[in-house]
Amino acid sequence: MLEVKGVCAGYGRVQVLWDVDLTVSANEIVALVGPNGAGKTTLLRALSGMVPIRDGSVTFLGEDITGRSIERIVDLGISHVPEGRRLFPGLTVKDNLRLGGWRNRNTDIDRVIDLFPKLGDRLSQVTGSMSGGEQQMCAIARGLMGKPDLIMIDELSMGLAPVIVEEIIGRLADIAASGTAVLLVEQDVDAALTVAERAYVMETGRVVMSGNAGVLLADPRIQQSYLGIA
Amino acid sequence: MTGFLQATVYGLLQGGLLALVAVGFSLVWGVMNVVNLSHGAFVVLGAYVGWQLNTSLGLDPFLGMVIVALVLFCIGYAVQRFLINLVVNGPIFITLLLTFGLELLLVQGMNIVFTANYQSIPTSYAGNAIVLGGIQVPLGRLLAFLLAVGITVLLVKVMANTRIGMSIMATGMDRGAARLMGIRARHVYALTFGIATALAGMAGTMVGTVGTFNPAAAGGFTLLSFVIAVLGGLGNMYGAMVGGLLMGLVQAWGGYYLSGTWVNALAFLVLVIVLMFRPSGLVGKAFYAARVEV
Ligand SMILES: Nc1ncnc2c1ncn2[C@@H]1O[C@H](COP(=O)(O)OP(=O)(O)OP(=O)(O)O)[C@@H](O)[C@H]1O
Ligand SMILES: [Mg+2]
Repeated sequence: MLEVKGVCAGYGRVQVLWDVDLTVSANEIVALVGPNGAGKTTLLRALSGMVPIRDGSVTFLGEDITGRSIERIVDLGISHVPEGRRLFPGLTVKDNLRLGGWRNRNTDIDRVIDLFPKLGDRLSQVTGSMSGGEQQMCAIARGLMGKPDLIMIDELSMGLAPVIVEEIIGRLADIAASGTAVLLVEQDVDAALTVAERAYVMETGRVVMSGNAGVLLADPRIQQSYLGIA
Repeated sequence: MTGFLQATVYGLLQGGLLALVAVGFSLVWGVMNVVNLSHGAFVVLGAYVGWQLNTSLGLDPFLGMVIVALVLFCIGYAVQRFLINLVVNGPIFITLLLTFGLELLLVQGMNIVFTANYQSIPTSYAGNAIVLGGIQVPLGRLLAFLLAVGITVLLVKVMANTRIGMSIMATGMDRGAARLMGIRARHVYALTFGIATALAGMAGTMVGTVGTFNPAAAGGFTLLSFVIAVLGGLGNMYGAMVGGLLMGLVQAWGGYYLSGTWVNALAFLVLVIVLMFRPSGLVGKAFYAARVEV
């Protein structure tokens, strides 16, 4: 469904991504892990059109989306839950969700509330005053309002307690099963590789390992570098 | 006492109109972080379009306002889409310079087309006054006040309750996040600027029915809009209303008690005092208070 081939991208004169290949199939959960500064966020930005792609190509559902505008890529069915969540802080949960459905005029919030029932009690609360976990739920729910074929989530666990992370990550399988593939960028490598079917490991802007998530989880190099197992 | 009351009524009526003059300026600043120095020129342009419709077609200015709004919207949309959008992500200094240049261009253009002479848009009824307990309420001013307040309230409702309003608000808060929702930010910016110039143009036409105008008045309207927007709280549309009314009152009372040149100084004195006690303006934080850049 998503096919990334030889993508190079960066900021100004600095090139961050070098020749990145990656694929995501329909209804699949794919994890993207790597140390700080590896370029994970930059890759998601390049895929959603926030950072220009210098070389290589991105194909989504058979259409070449390289160099398309952010809005056009959203139209085609890629939703990006950005690093830091970027909720509209002065607006309520409900308004944030409605904005998530702005493009396809989707006002049916029940579907995403079923996924995150906690949000149902907070619909009229201003998102700026919610806990980090609730904000992340709201951000993902907002990202799902457009009924995307692919949702890319950056740093799902950032600043959250482990129980909350577990709760949210537990919903990813439901999201994938309902027809939205997930590309998950995550610091918590253990959690990410457990929920994902396949995974990519990035270091200094390059994909250095990829494959079945279970196999990677058992790989001694991964255990040593990311899981602190000697 | 009657003199004071008369000044107060006059100030409130004028204030409502000033609110409409300023609300678009405040909107553009709030949503795009652009201090539009050409705002006053659009007010005057609106007055001239209304005046032209009146002199060549005999159209009543309060009806002609609809056409003025349409014309000014189209001009504003195009100016933002094809000009200001090019630099809107740059430092505020660049947009200041660009809109300053635009103001010079518009004012000079109007000087050439309409000459520098003072004009006004006459009607048969604007000068008639209702007299209430010895206080004169000129019909034209009353009509302008009611329309101005009505349009401002309508604008706030549109912003809060419509699809377009929601997209404008969201883009003002966080352009990047809004784009990730599929909202076309460049189009939204152009719409916002078009709405602002349409409102400015309508205000201008009404200014022309209750007083006089010439191209050189543009700078004064920009300055007033600036003061009113800051007074009310940037980007806050009800704030512009409160700021406008206060400014109208200050000017009227100042004119009643002080000699001419003091009035302008008084307006700024009020601004300084308000900001000393309420740095975010009279009405306070606007929707974009937690703006995120990039
Ligand atoms: N806006 C920017 N402008 C310039 N350079 C940037 C920008 N954002 C990131 N970089 C640089 O790009 C490189 C990759 O950053 P990126 O944010 O993609 O990494 P990451 O893998 O997401 O890291 P983290 O785990 O810390 O989020 C880093 O060297 C960073 O300094
Ligand atoms: Mg990152």
